[in-house]
Amino acid sequence: MGKNLSPKERTEAKWGLLFVAPTMIGLLVLNFYPIFNTVYQSFCKTGDFGRGNTFVGFANYQKVFAAAETWQSLWNTIKYALIEVPFGVIIALLLAVLLNKKVAGRSVYRTIFFLPMVCAPAAVAMVWKWLYNTQFGLLNNVFHTSVAWISDPKVAWISIGVIGVWSIIGYNMVLFIGGLQEIPGDYYEAASIDGASGIRQFFNITVPLLSPTTFFIVQTRIIGALTVFDLMFMVMDKTNVALKNVQSIVYLFYQYAFTNGNKGYGATLVMLLLAFIMIVTFILQQAEKRIVYHN
Amino acid sequence: MKASIMACVLAAGMVMAIPATAQAYDVSELQVNIWDNNQLAGIQQIADEWSEESGVKVTINVVDWDNYWTLLEAGASGGQMPDVFWMHSNTAQMYMENDLLLNLDDYIAEDDAIDLSNYYEGVVNLYKSNGVQYALPKDHDTIALLYNKALFDKYGVDYPTDDWTWDDLLAAATAITEAGAADGVYGYAINTSNNQDGWYNIIYDYGAQVITDDHKGTTIGSEEGKAAMEKMRQILEVSAPQTTVAETGTDSLFQSGLTAMITQGSWMINNFYKSENSADYAWAMLPYADVNENGSCDEGERYSAYNGLGWAASYQVADPAAAYSLISYLCAEKGQLEQAELGVTMGGMLGVSDAFANAFPGMDVSAFVRAEEEGDLFFRPYTRNTTVWEDALQ
Repeated sequence: MGKNLSPKERTEAKWGLLFVAPTMIGLLVLNFYPIFNTVYQSFCKTGDFGRGNTFVGFANYQKVFAAAETWQSLWNTIKYALIEVPFGVIIALLLAVLLNKKVAGRSVYRTIFFLPMVCAPAAVAMVWKWLYNTQFGLLNNVFHTSVAWISDPKVAWISIGVIGVWSIIGYNMVLFIGGLQEIPGDYYEAASIDGASGIRQFFNITVPLLSPTTFFIVQTRIIGALTVFDLMFMVMDKTNVALKNVQSIVYLFYQYAFTNGNKGYGATLVMLLLAFIMIVTFILQQAEKRIVYHN
Repeated sequence: MKASIMACVLAAGMVMAIPATAQAYDVSELQVNIWDNNQLAGIQQIADEWSEESGVKVTINVVDWDNYWTLLEAGASGGQMPDVFWMHSNTAQMYMENDLLLNLDDYIAEDDAIDLSNYYEGVVNLYKSNGVQYALPKDHDTIALLYNKALFDKYGVDYPTDDWTWDDLLAAATAITEAGAADGVYGYAINTSNNQDGWYNIIYDYGAQVITDDHKGTTIGSEEGKAAMEKMRQILEVSAPQTTVAETGTDSLFQSGLTAMITQGSWMINNFYKSENSADYAWAMLPYADVNENGSCDEGERYSAYNGLGWAASYQVADPAAAYSLISYLCAEKGQLEQAELGVTMGGMLGVSDAFANAFPGMDVSAFVRAEEEGDLFFRPYTRNTTVWEDALQ
């Protein structure tokens, strides 16, 4: 607090602090403490039940970097993001543009597309697991195929990505609709008078003016996609032959930290992911200045 | 009407009985965690009887196997464990060495109802660390071969018998898989995660050990182990493919009539007993390996894995006496007999297996009892870090 505050400002500042205190305490206890504890644990050989940690320096890091499965899992995670983010964004954008027009039953459609967001991810995954089932699955029954959707390493990562896209388009769409409604209608009117076609209007007005929203969605979804876990965990059995080619880095973390009880190794995997996300975010922030159109 | 009068009488009896019992407990409720939904009803029934005596309510929560351990470990780290819960060979040592379980020695010494020599030795020893008993044997289990008579009839293959070798199983599986190809039916199905209830057994039959008796090494890589694995490989070639068993599960395949045989543990009987087509299902002893090629099953040629759960209490339980009293009730003769009669599981106590075999009218489950009378048992392999190598083996 500055020294030159009047008594009234002082009172306001106190009240202000009081109001942000719950959030601050929550952040400190639930976010910052675990973050620093994770950093600490990544340098430890952790004991059972969080007791008796011994400092081992970079031993965990050496092991993590030397393990082929680490890089395979990181690559799996990137592959997942490469499906979820572009398709999740493009499909959502097209839907948003369509549902921003005056279509009959528009709120019904919006609700339907948003519904996957309301469902528990575990329930979504269970339903898809049975849709994909090779023998009894609806997909194979409808198309009269016998594709091993989630057991063939060549197909499984796409199948998982499709669930991710399906789950997220509703959420992205709502954000896009919000962005679209901020674009003044005058631009479109003027463009129509000048004879610009709908497609031309989309690429020359909608896309650039929507770019701040698009950038926000892309950035948050990249981070979201890189931390994916529940889809692989719920849809694929531990003994699935394609698991090694699909499991994400967070899945690997879960395996080590919770199933095998090796918290130190798990923490190190998370640190690797953290570093990777930081690099990606940094690059995106640099790119923002060039890509995003500001009024 | 009759039932409600009975309930009133019982309730009145309870109200009057509570002040009369010698031990009044400090708690009004015990939280119990288990992982098997099939056993919930039976265990709740036995626990309710204890509640009538003690006046302490027992709330049983079922958490599925994978999450059970995640939850228990998180609870142990954070000091929030349930009061009474199941222990398993995979993890018991870790919990005992860290003193997270209630030391039961003093209670057992004063308890007339519990004599540890009446229980399966392997299970008693499992829950003992540095001479301290941390859990009482809840049950033990054996493995048998489950087959679908309807499928054997349909494809004209003879039913499995107790004289089967693994080669006979291979031959029958081959015949059914070939004949049933058009219907998508397989002779046999096994997942790589079916270890105790699957491929561990054949390894012991051939004379190798997954974990040696000192819990420090393995002889899977020996000639005997390789011979067993080679036989398993031949069987796998004519079984449901790994992609199918991983997606659908061997139990579901069997229950949908898509596989004629699986191997399963005695703790799963209820699941199949209650199935739609349970009249078609029958159990035989696990096949043996005729290692000395004399045409009959000799000692050491037929093994079934056995394991036993333990009833343990948290070291922080609010009222240790109440927790022990419940454990003792569940593990003493009356509770054990009732557990067997209700068909929950076989006993941790010796001599209640016959009661269990009779618990399923219309289904002959004596193969599980014969497995221990006629065959040999080996304890489910465990070390301090069982889950680590077990998951790697899958």
